[in-house]
Amino acid sequence: MLSFIRKRSLSSLLSLIGLLVMVFFLSRLTGDPAALFLPVEASAEMKQQFRELHGLNDPLLVQFGRYVGNVLTGDLGESLRKARPALDVVLEAFVWTLWLAAITMSLVASAAIVVGSLAAFRTGGFFDRLSSMVSLIGASVPDFWLAIVAIVVFSIQLAWLPTSGTGSVLHWILPIGVLFVRPFGIIVQVVRGSMISALSSAYVKTARAKGVKAGPIIFVHALRNAMLPVITVLGDQAASLLNGAVIVETIFGFPGVGKLMIDSILQRDFNVVLAAILVTAVAIFLMNVLIDLAYAVLDPRIRH
Amino acid sequence: MYKTKIISALMAASLMAGVSPAAAGSGPIKIVLAEEADLLEPCMATRSNIGRIIMENVSETLTELDVRGKKGVMPRLAEKWEQTADGSWRFHLRQGVKFSNGTTFDAKDVKHSFERIFSDKNACESRRYFGGMKIDTTVVDANTIDFKVDPVQPILPLLMSLVTIVPEETPMEFIREPIGTGPYALSNWTPGQQIVLTGRSDYWGDKPQVTQATYLFRSDPAVRAAMVQTGEADLSPSISQLDATNTKTDFSYLDSETVYLRIDHNIAPLNDVRVRKALNLAIDRQAFVGSLVPDGAVLATALVPPTTLGWNPDVKVFPFDPEGAKKLLEQAKADGVAVETPITVIARTANFPNVTEIMEAIQAQLQDVGFKIDLKFVEVAEHEGYYSKPFKEGRGPILVAASHDNSKGDPSFTMFFKYATKGTQAGFSDPKVDDLIQRATAAVGDERAKLWSQLIAYLHDDVVADVLLFHMVGFSRVSERLDFKPTIATNSMLQLSDISIK
Repeated sequence: MLSFIRKRSLSSLLSLIGLLVMVFFLSRLTGDPAALFLPVEASAEMKQQFRELHGLNDPLLVQFGRYVGNVLTGDLGESLRKARPALDVVLEAFVWTLWLAAITMSLVASAAIVVGSLAAFRTGGFFDRLSSMVSLIGASVPDFWLAIVAIVVFSIQLAWLPTSGTGSVLHWILPIGVLFVRPFGIIVQVVRGSMISALSSAYVKTARAKGVKAGPIIFVHALRNAMLPVITVLGDQAASLLNGAVIVETIFGFPGVGKLMIDSILQRDFNVVLAAILVTAVAIFLMNVLIDLAYAVLDPRIRH
Repeated sequence: MYKTKIISALMAASLMAGVSPAAAGSGPIKIVLAEEADLLEPCMATRSNIGRIIMENVSETLTELDVRGKKGVMPRLAEKWEQTADGSWRFHLRQGVKFSNGTTFDAKDVKHSFERIFSDKNACESRRYFGGMKIDTTVVDANTIDFKVDPVQPILPLLMSLVTIVPEETPMEFIREPIGTGPYALSNWTPGQQIVLTGRSDYWGDKPQVTQATYLFRSDPAVRAAMVQTGEADLSPSISQLDATNTKTDFSYLDSETVYLRIDHNIAPLNDVRVRKALNLAIDRQAFVGSLVPDGAVLATALVPPTTLGWNPDVKVFPFDPEGAKKLLEQAKADGVAVETPITVIARTANFPNVTEIMEAIQAQLQDVGFKIDLKFVEVAEHEGYYSKPFKEGRGPILVAASHDNSKGDPSFTMFFKYATKGTQAGFSDPKVDDLIQRATAAVGDERAKLWSQLIAYLHDDVVADVLLFHMVGFSRVSERLDFKPTIATNSMLQLSDISIK
């Protein structure tokens, strides 16, 4: 297992380096940060001085060499816009995103597994049809629309929840609720499909023949075998949340990493873009390792 | 796209109305803004997302411009000022003023604040207002300071309304926790979430009714409007027109943005004044107001809003006269002007509300009189490349759609950049324009106003410098517990002391 993790780490490290090099040069292609930091009326001298202050006048390779040197000493540079270390800015935002993703995905996994399994147990039954309809709607509904409707209904009309922001448990309900819907819709479908195939397998038939009750058949015999594809899709969905739920963060004023990343790209705050990519890439790598470990736990054939 | 509400009638709020007499209330308020301040640096307070929070609330200036009345430049940290025979300015500073860190305000702080904005260790934005000037400051005594400016600056007292004063100990590099002499001090800043300003008990001036202001940030205008509606916030200076449906809380106000098409006079056929006039006659400006442009918007005859010194009421908006435009184009064509050359309109995505629809309608109207118009939308940085010098070599005829903000009360903040030969966004060079700008900039009092008026008329009627379109309006939502009317300066500055609590 350790050698497996070592191999995965090495290949991920190479991908990460490639990604950072690419983003470093591509972000510089978007243009001059001085043009955005300073107003249009700023003189050429002011722009020149801004570039000098931030080392943007040096040849690109010199800038890259300096960046690599700094990264190796753990310094990811300063945010141009915020005049503070880029890594601090990103980590502050990433903690919010991590919580949002962790809570949402835990709820999604629990709910989708129960609903998908029950739907698969009586295919074509009322519960199956209902859950299919709900999950299809969930997978297709645009989240910006859902977010605004949720605010209108729960905050303005019913006055049950705050419209947006942070500060109390109540503030988390709408963003998590909106983020929950799409992965839930997708994963219910995956669980259902995977469970249908597991429930029609020989070992389930044997269990039924032996008189095992429905509950243990679904949640002990079939589910464990049906979980591998579900975990893969769960990982995919979690990765997209870790990259930041930009729309939900924007509408609910949630200070996560997705909105930070988009704003930094638009403002050409290169160091923050690079730090954000580094942090999210490491998080996604760690999550992939966890997924691989989960495979090994669930399926002895992988373990051995 | 997010909006779930429908358009309803817009209220006509009085644009420059004063605040009602103070009521008895006092207490904390919450303000929701569209954009977070990424920095609370006093020398960047002329940038709207920063200025709206700290300008005159935390960091004060020597003078301030009266945007609610017609008092012009008023004393703030300077009690009075005078110009000496050699053109220098002497400012007499207010005594008994303390910074929020407890130190006493004096002339050395003013000197340091100036040195700081010119330092090469930062990129202070307020420096741009002093381009081409050499400034020597001399501390006469603790409460008197002299400014010798070369060339002589008749509007130095007005420029002082843009320079925030920091204590002498402030480092040259950007800071994140501003110390000022204002009625409030920064008490909490949780990036991404909130900024809190708390009233100071040792403030030198009148105590404002707002004891504490919490600033929240939401990019979506519908959410900002909803927050005031549900009581989560008390004021949103900017909501969308679609959400401005409640006459008790929603106000429209002239927001100091002027939309126009900058004409590049250097390239044919735009170098012909008949063609430029035809562009102006072809557009039915009035048809936009109340449809694509909110009710309350004013048709523009100058790049500065009507509240600016020297704004000329005698200059009339070009009428909508497609036949006249066609005739002018025919005359130009008969004289060999290549009027059929395709002209490109460059517009910036999301530059102002409905920019796409407005530009498409303008394109259609120009085509109706015989112009060949291509419309190109670009993002902010590419737009800047077309808008500012150096212009690209080998370019074709171009009109740049842009929005210009001048809430500062004097045309000098606009005219040099947009119309002088050396101006960064000037689309032409005219010696008479240069001369008028130079003389108006150097003049004072009525003479100054007269010269600016003359320039505005000359640019509009003789040069036909650009296609001026609209002075835009913004919409704000103010809780019924507050007494506050936005002004033309609300975009860039939001003084908490102007807000009363009912």
